[in-house]
Amino acid sequence: MSDKMSLVLENVSKSFVNKKAVDKISFKLDKPGVFGLLGTNGAGKTTTIRMILGIIKKDSGTITWNNEEVFREKVNFGYLPEERGIYPKIKVYNQLLYFAKLKGMSKENAIEEINFWANKLKVSEYLNMNAEKLSKGNQQKIQFMTAIIHDPELIVLDEPFSGLDPVNTEIIKNIIIDLVKKGKYIIMSAHQMATIEEFCTDILILNRGKTMIQGNLKEIKDSYPVNRVVIHVNEKINDIIDELKLKIENHKENEYVIKINNEDEAHKLLDKVMKKKIKVNKFEIMKPTLNDIFIEKVGE
Amino acid sequence: MRDIFTIMQFTMKDMIQRKSFIISTIIILLFIIIGFNVPKIISSFSDDETFSQKLLITDNDNLFEGSLELLNNDNYNLTIENKNIDEVKEEIDKENYDGALVITKDDSIININYIVKEMSLFYEPPEDLINNINAIYISKEINKLGLTDEELQHIMPTFNFTAESISEDVNGNVFVMMIMSCVLFYAIYFCAYQVSSSITTEKTSKIIETLVTSTSPKNIVLGKTFGIGLVGLGQLILIVGTALICANICLSKELLNQVLDLSNITVTLGIITIIYFVLGYLVYALIYALTGSTVSKPEDIQSANGPVAIICIIGFYLSYFTMMNPNSELNVFASMLPISSPFCMPFRVMMGLSKPMDVIISLIILIITIFVIAKIAIKIYSNAILNYGTKLSIKDIIKMYKTK
Repeated sequence: MSDKMSLVLENVSKSFVNKKAVDKISFKLDKPGVFGLLGTNGAGKTTTIRMILGIIKKDSGTITWNNEEVFREKVNFGYLPEERGIYPKIKVYNQLLYFAKLKGMSKENAIEEINFWANKLKVSEYLNMNAEKLSKGNQQKIQFMTAIIHDPELIVLDEPFSGLDPVNTEIIKNIIIDLVKKGKYIIMSAHQMATIEEFCTDILILNRGKTMIQGNLKEIKDSYPVNRVVIHVNEKINDIIDELKLKIENHKENEYVIKINNEDEAHKLLDKVMKKKIKVNKFEIMKPTLNDIFIEKVGE
Repeated sequence: MRDIFTIMQFTMKDMIQRKSFIISTIIILLFIIIGFNVPKIISSFSDDETFSQKLLITDNDNLFEGSLELLNNDNYNLTIENKNIDEVKEEIDKENYDGALVITKDDSIININYIVKEMSLFYEPPEDLINNINAIYISKEINKLGLTDEELQHIMPTFNFTAESISEDVNGNVFVMMIMSCVLFYAIYFCAYQVSSSITTEKTSKIIETLVTSTSPKNIVLGKTFGIGLVGLGQLILIVGTALICANICLSKELLNQVLDLSNITVTLGIITIIYFVLGYLVYALIYALTGSTVSKPEDIQSANGPVAIICIIGFYLSYFTMMNPNSELNVFASMLPISSPFCMPFRVMMGLSKPMDVIISLIILIITIFVIAKIAIKIYSNAILNYGTKLSIKDIIKMYKTK
């Protein structure tokens, strides 16, 4: 069953009063993995997510899960909203049980899963405390639990790592990797490009409701020409860089990150350095990062 | 259905465990228990000696020829003694007596001078005692005429005064009726208000986004409304039950019969009152669910709920004031109007003024109103609940209702 699943959006649009929030976006998620939804604030990511989950209705287009129109009742999904929310004055355990029951779990099964995930997320000791007494990071882990406790097929994580310390980020990362291994379909929106590059096979960049770029992340990056070279040398090479009329993007001790327009410029630089018998410890011609692509696409 | 039950159960548990709920319920119950025990508490602090007024009566001119000894009244501790006015004043000044009645004769007029240290409500002239003194004097003088018992009876017949109301038992229950009306109003109003505040809290704490992806808006509105309603009903039954038990234990049977005609308090009336409480609560709770979903900040709740509060108060006063004249057409109208019938109809039933058909029509109107409001409230809740930011205007709300 799992290899037949797919989430398909076709020409989906949504307008609010005097504003087009999402304009004819289309994408497909037809194999387990993490799909990255990127965009600046107000780009339409949350609106897209809410339409996928059936919280708000789309104006036009189709959204199907396994070839059927998406209805909240029919799709077994888990959702971690961008706006973190928790009942402050209610015991963590009681609210987890409440949401698990609302997601159709039996009490026994819910208790079992609460204990399993609490242990995995290292929050067992907080289960009997009122949620308001927990740190922000721990509250976020509790909310993450409510998104995955019922073993959903489709998981939507809106900014799952924002506000988490490195230790907790690592815990959640490992769980996401496990979920992908289990064949889950995950849509993730994040501002940290490094995270997206780490997890996502496919991405979509939104800007003001419109798709700027989409597709396989590796293919997208490969389609961009090289744009910088990193060189680590034993002595200063500023004069060579000036001679070749290149721009330094970053310079730390003897490591230079230099902007280039093509590979030839990089090779010329290396030739000059070698001719001067300067020892080169590292030389790398680089493609743009996702961050570069993102800024290029949605920047001014 | 399962989700409605889960939400209802969660809401009930949350409400019952809230400190504010526990404390306010305990305070109300304590007030009731203390209120009914006030007469007992007062009497336990004051013994009979101090409670009955200690009076000195002087008849220095012997006008009553010893017949003042016939004066007997449980409310007074009387001492009859001859003393001159200065001695009397001195006794009162030393607080040996609470007051004194100095009887003197001036020509043909008999003066009774009431002397107290300070005039206050407690020491107002003892009218009953003065009347008795008057009667004793007349009877002493008549006796001197040597009349037979028959002649005496003829001159001084015994008047038997009784009071009777034509509209049976109405007065007997007016007091209870008014109190019950207030209790119903506050119970309905405050429970319904809880729905609004609970919805806004979920919105402000952002939990709503997780909630609306876990179940449908319809289930949330209904589950929450039923949950809070059941807790409110439980609280109402606890309060009314405590009041009835206290009334039975603490009040004397005569007093109880004066304010409450128990023959009118039947199981049917209890059931009808509960039905009207539930339906009345549903009307207001669903309107409050609607207003609660249109605000995102706790400080906006008051202004959004203002119009609902006004409707509720109009409904309450319409029934409350027309109850003074229960046979008026306005009272009949109030018992049919869905915003006032929950406060009005149970009392018309108690007073035997409404026929079963009136009750059925009133209930049908109320149920139809609930369905209409529920439909509108759920629709607007679904659209408004994820709207953060400024409070929605009525125009926005209407627009939301019209959207598919």
